[in-house]
Amino acid sequence: MNPGWILPLVLVLPALFAGAGLLVPSQRAALRLITFGTLAGAAVAVAAAALALSRAGELTSLGAWLMVDALSAYHLLVMAAVFSLSGLYARSYFAADAESGELSLRTARRFTALWFSSMAAMHLVLVSNNLGLMWVGIEATTLVTAFLICIHGTATSLEAMWKYLLMCSVGVALAFMGTLLVAASTHGSGVEGASALLWTELRDAATRLNPKLLKTGFLFLVIGYGTKAGLAPMHNWLPDAHSQAPAPVSAIFSGFLLNAALYCILRTLPLVEALPGNSGWGREILIAFGLISILVAAVFIIAQHDLKRLLAYSSVEHLGIVALGVGLGGLGHVAALFHILNNSVSKSVGFFCAGSIGHLAGTHDMRKINRVTALSRVWGLGLVGSLLAIIGAAPFALFLSEFLILYTAIQQGHTFIAAAFLAGLALVFVGALRHLISIAWEPLDGPVEPHRGTLLEGAIVFVPLTALLVLGVWVPAPFWSLLERAARVLGGAS
Amino acid sequence: MTLPVDTILVIVILTGFLILGTARLITAIRLSAIQGVCIGLLPVAASGGGTSVRVLLLGLAIVILKGVVFPRLLRRAIRESRTSGEMQPYVGITASVITGILALVAAFWLDARMDFLPDSHGLVAPTAFFTIITGLFLIVARKLAITQVIGYLILENGIYVFGLAIALEVPVIVELGVLLDMFVAVFVMGIAIFRINREFNHMDSDQLRNLKG
Repeated sequence: MNPGWILPLVLVLPALFAGAGLLVPSQRAALRLITFGTLAGAAVAVAAAALALSRAGELTSLGAWLMVDALSAYHLLVMAAVFSLSGLYARSYFAADAESGELSLRTARRFTALWFSSMAAMHLVLVSNNLGLMWVGIEATTLVTAFLICIHGTATSLEAMWKYLLMCSVGVALAFMGTLLVAASTHGSGVEGASALLWTELRDAATRLNPKLLKTGFLFLVIGYGTKAGLAPMHNWLPDAHSQAPAPVSAIFSGFLLNAALYCILRTLPLVEALPGNSGWGREILIAFGLISILVAAVFIIAQHDLKRLLAYSSVEHLGIVALGVGLGGLGHVAALFHILNNSVSKSVGFFCAGSIGHLAGTHDMRKINRVTALSRVWGLGLVGSLLAIIGAAPFALFLSEFLILYTAIQQGHTFIAAAFLAGLALVFVGALRHLISIAWEPLDGPVEPHRGTLLEGAIVFVPLTALLVLGVWVPAPFWSLLERAARVLGGAS
Repeated sequence: MTLPVDTILVIVILTGFLILGTARLITAIRLSAIQGVCIGLLPVAASGGGTSVRVLLLGLAIVILKGVVFPRLLRRAIRESRTSGEMQPYVGITASVITGILALVAAFWLDARMDFLPDSHGLVAPTAFFTIITGLFLIVARKLAITQVIGYLILENGIYVFGLAIALEVPVIVELGVLLDMFVAVFVMGIAIFRINREFNHMDSDQLRNLKG
């Protein structure tokens, strides 16, 4: 039997859960569905990724409209990790609201349906071989996640939602122009009609594509999808949306939604790079956007007082680091892919802890949050750990991937790039460490009853953090070869 | 059969100018509906005598969506938000129209520069560029959230014309997906406007500025 059958299932299963979410009888049932449905959806995605990786080429389905190769398989795995953790966390985050009746049944149903819709849309982005369908998926994620931001319905969350909706819709509309241009570059290359949007066809014909059209298209794609990926200077919506959304949603925003948009840019890069005599052109653009993002984020992190906004700007920084690594190429490709996992995991945990600490302290203002470990052992320690990981302290895996990218830059003789990168990292480190010290060690005003975490809460905080620690000192060989295989797709090999 | 295509394109450009020049919301919505209908008719007119069922059906879907459904959604958003019905521009009407003229010049210049486009028709690409610039301008130059939605619709119209300019055979499923996304986008924006209005008692995106830094 053709194992391609699993790819439609990756899309259909979350869509079914979304429908079921509208019919759940109670808030508790909704939370249960979120937890187990997310795990089931993630399991199917992992199975699809494993099937694709067990083969030499790519796994295709539905007339090559759906396709999973090493690059998308890797992204599916990262997404499965982020979603599983967030699904488990959502249960603990909303449990109190559900008990007290603050979370109405209508809101719970809507949240469940939108949650699974966004999962289905992101899966569509990753398994689609058709660039048009990929675009449809990205636009769909914008629309379904918009209401996830303002599920609490406060004035500021509405403001954040409007900015997000408008900026990303306009950005993604420009990406559609880019998609059209990329498809148009097949004129006269022997790729027929409707298959001009299929990535595998474009890759096979890459050397015969029209360079001007493809390059113009790539620019539009970088600007358009870059808006959604939060690359500076198109990032304005990001800190608002990420800080106003409920924490489980912030986690999937920062942990994966940004990566899904960046993934679309990564898909097009090998096409541009394969143009004869154009090697390096597309990568230089990514380096520029990467460095701008890192430096802009660094400045805002220093001046930041809101914990969740700090994490949001840190996402701008880390997506910039990924873009920089991809732009450098070679070992940079591997390191950038490694960094995607590291950032997604640490950022998700960071948002879990920030959300719960915010609940306990009643504020996200870091000047008013003190002694987080006394407020809650689990969330406090988790917050300190994840912040240390996020700012790149050794021996967390983020240190390793950042170091590898820096090493690549120096080895290739890009002294200026390396210096700017290092300056950005240092600014973030110092700026965030200052906040970290104040929230971790400044004494509390009065005695507090410490929050007692459950075993599950401990697990979703400490298991990922431990994994990051382990990956920082020892990278298992199969994992490294997976990274190298995905990097080969980025480098243009079939 | 080049005459109807040219006529339709000229109407698209004219409606663009009129939207830039109007001070009334309801007129802007009507004009965007006219432009939407023209956009839907374009591929049918361009295919001349050999119109396929696929082109006809897609054209019909676009005409219904952009000519009937979107204007209705927008009109409802206005009714429920008790606005004065004025556009409330940051950039005045005269300046907007002058911007429009500059945009048209820029559009023809861009078309001349981008000689690598497999342009099937002389006016198609300039119309696309002009409409895209108009849409982006409306989004940044008008205060009300609802005019930003109109700007977004104009931008999408421009991108659709651009798709015709590069003469590409987009598969039906992708076209439908794009249309569905657009429909949901306008729908979601409509609900968002309603909720913003309920919460703030206004729908000035100008006053949405509590989140900074």
